[in-house]
Amino acid sequence: MKVAMIGWEYPPFKVGGLGTHCYWLTQHLANLGVKVDFYVPKRSRAINVKEKNLKVIEIGITKVYPYDRVEEGALEGDFFESVNTYNELCAEKIHGNYDLIHVHDWLTVKAGINLKHKLGKPLIVTIHSTEFDRSGWLNPNEYFINVEKEGMERADRVIAVSHYTKKVIVDNYGIPEDKIRVVHNAVNHVGEGKKKRKIVLFLGRLTIQKGAEFFLRAAKRVLEKEDCLFVVAGGGDMLPRLVDLSVELGIANRVMFTGPLTDEEVKHLYRIASVYVMPSVSEPFGITALEAASAGAATIVSKNSGVKEILKHCLTVDFWDTDEMANKIIALLRYDPLRRAITRNAKRDLNFITWERTAQKTLEVYREVV
Amino acid sequence: MPAICMYFEVHQPFRLNRFSVFNIGENFNPFEVYFNHKLNKVLFERAVRKCYLPTNKLILELIEDTDRNFKVSFSLTGTFMEYCDALAQEVMRSFQDLVETGCVSLICETYYHSLSSLFEDLSEFKEQVEMHRNAIRSRFGYEPKVFRNTEAIYDNRIAKEIERMGFKGIITEGTEKILGWRSPNYIYRPVNAPNLKVLLRNHRLSDDIAFRFSAVGWEEYPLTADKYARWLSSCEGEIVNIFMDYETFGEHNWPESGIFDFLYHLPREVLKYPNNYFVTVDEAVERFSPVGEIDVPFAISWADNERDVSPWLGNEMQIACFNELKEIGKMLKDKGDEDLLKLWRLLQTSDHLYYISTKGFADGEIHKYFSPYSNPYEGFINYMNILQDLRRKVEGGRL
Repeated sequence: MKVAMIGWEYPPFKVGGLGTHCYWLTQHLANLGVKVDFYVPKRSRAINVKEKNLKVIEIGITKVYPYDRVEEGALEGDFFESVNTYNELCAEKIHGNYDLIHVHDWLTVKAGINLKHKLGKPLIVTIHSTEFDRSGWLNPNEYFINVEKEGMERADRVIAVSHYTKKVIVDNYGIPEDKIRVVHNAVNHVGEGKKKRKIVLFLGRLTIQKGAEFFLRAAKRVLEKEDCLFVVAGGGDMLPRLVDLSVELGIANRVMFTGPLTDEEVKHLYRIASVYVMPSVSEPFGITALEAASAGAATIVSKNSGVKEILKHCLTVDFWDTDEMANKIIALLRYDPLRRAITRNAKRDLNFITWERTAQKTLEVYREVV
Repeated sequence: MPAICMYFEVHQPFRLNRFSVFNIGENFNPFEVYFNHKLNKVLFERAVRKCYLPTNKLILELIEDTDRNFKVSFSLTGTFMEYCDALAQEVMRSFQDLVETGCVSLICETYYHSLSSLFEDLSEFKEQVEMHRNAIRSRFGYEPKVFRNTEAIYDNRIAKEIERMGFKGIITEGTEKILGWRSPNYIYRPVNAPNLKVLLRNHRLSDDIAFRFSAVGWEEYPLTADKYARWLSSCEGEIVNIFMDYETFGEHNWPESGIFDFLYHLPREVLKYPNNYFVTVDEAVERFSPVGEIDVPFAISWADNERDVSPWLGNEMQIACFNELKEIGKMLKDKGDEDLLKLWRLLQTSDHLYYISTKGFADGEIHKYFSPYSNPYEGFINYMNILQDLRRKVEGGRL
């Protein structure tokens, strides 16, 4: 089987779960004997891949841009242009004897639709996040919704990264359930090794979707009862507002903002944090929760998330219920038996959550249409 | 040619309210705030409607219809009786009617359906057994002869204490762990309590009703009264003990499952076999003599696959709560504060620990069925927060 997969980011250039997913999916598909040509925009440095069945092909020239939702103003600018150009170039330049075309999110949907038409091959669209998720359900942008909707309608199969996302797709895009398959993401184990400290960690882009504001409001409540350090890791357009908020709440001396971090720095934080909180407003999956768990942190995740479908040993909370979030953070800090039970049991779960399994399930979807 | 001894556990716990860490140390009436009275009322009244009233009525009819040859035994926990006092006195009256037939034995247990038998110091256990014995005496004018510990938890130490307290018999699980090759269908004697008789639950035949009756995938499905009576008649031994939760009738198995038809036909089908007959637990310990000894150095129970105390003390969260309970108890004992003592005892009800079990699939499903929490971790946080509040109240001296 030979697949043309069109992506947007690929390590070392990645910002979110999309890049991680594409990297491990393609590696393991190649291991399973699927020939994958992975198309990606050309970046300043070349991507090195040494895998028999896997070729990474760079198309066009673009700067590195965030994959996530962009500020309204930028829609008219470079970012929007780059996406369009990339999609057009893909549609134009990709030829060959493929059995199917696989694209990811709205970023590459247009190329997928055109190639399906041009090559006459089945199209698979994986949805890692929808416009509703990225906008935090506040003023979602019609343009993106329409691109996503068209892509899913034209696709032969839609892969959702969780049942949570499947429901969004059915309810908000009117896509028939029987066309959608759920394939969960996986995790590369970070591993323990550092002594845990009384650190409560948030890690993610500082956008409305990720709910860092709720993390700070919960922190305020926790600090009324417990002394600990809160770390907000990651960059994003909300950073200045969040710093202001921490001052306003009077907790600035117990909250550390790290800005964007390298992979190694992220791993270090996972390893020293006792509690990881993912308070997303809407999280299609949430790989970070698995990464944190693999480093021995006890996790609290938003009820609006996909990851809780496979990470059973975690605490869940409504993202807006900051008092309950604080109650659970304090419980994890205070009650060692609780924290130990959750981290130990979660690690057992993680043994079954592998990228190989993600690739196998994806391959099953391929076989349905080829 | 065995006697059939049917016994039902009737229990309702006082489930807890959502109690956050921010509630600890606040000023409130703990009897109102610790317990979720609204949920408890709904669940209790549902059980009254679906199980207690209809099943009591049916059993009373069956006793009359069989010329008092159908006999059963009950243990009504102290918390259950308190529910009846507050919400459904007609349920208590219907149990009194049943006892008046003379075909119903009442069994003694710890008033709070607690794990006090596992405390290092058994004085609290003895007090709770006495409390229950007195409650049965005053409500029913009945003197219980047989003891059944919470979920049939049993070991040599408990047996010895129960013998000392003057009981004639004790009930536990007929598990292979203590019987080996021997049959549960006889009366045994505890190795260290020669005056006590042990009634052993026949778990296969009991669970055929309690767990498998509605199991469509079971090879014997559907279970009919005549088939079941045939199995009973072909049992060798002297007595078959069929013990289960009373809520098996109407709650765990819905009326649509045919459970009430099954119960309706069962006495007549059993009595069709000339050598079969029903006994109460009190009659059983009068009539039969022990055929051998059982030696149980480690606690067993009738719950889960393991038949031990792991459903309540199987993980470190449960053990932490249990230790906390014991600690609070030590601080409380000499205070003489009745309200705090009552709260502590209500929090001892074993269900609170059962909800925190993290056991794997087969049993986990059953734990989930009974639990008011979405997972055991939530159960732990809530229970532990309340215990912390109680500890603070005890340390502070008074409510």
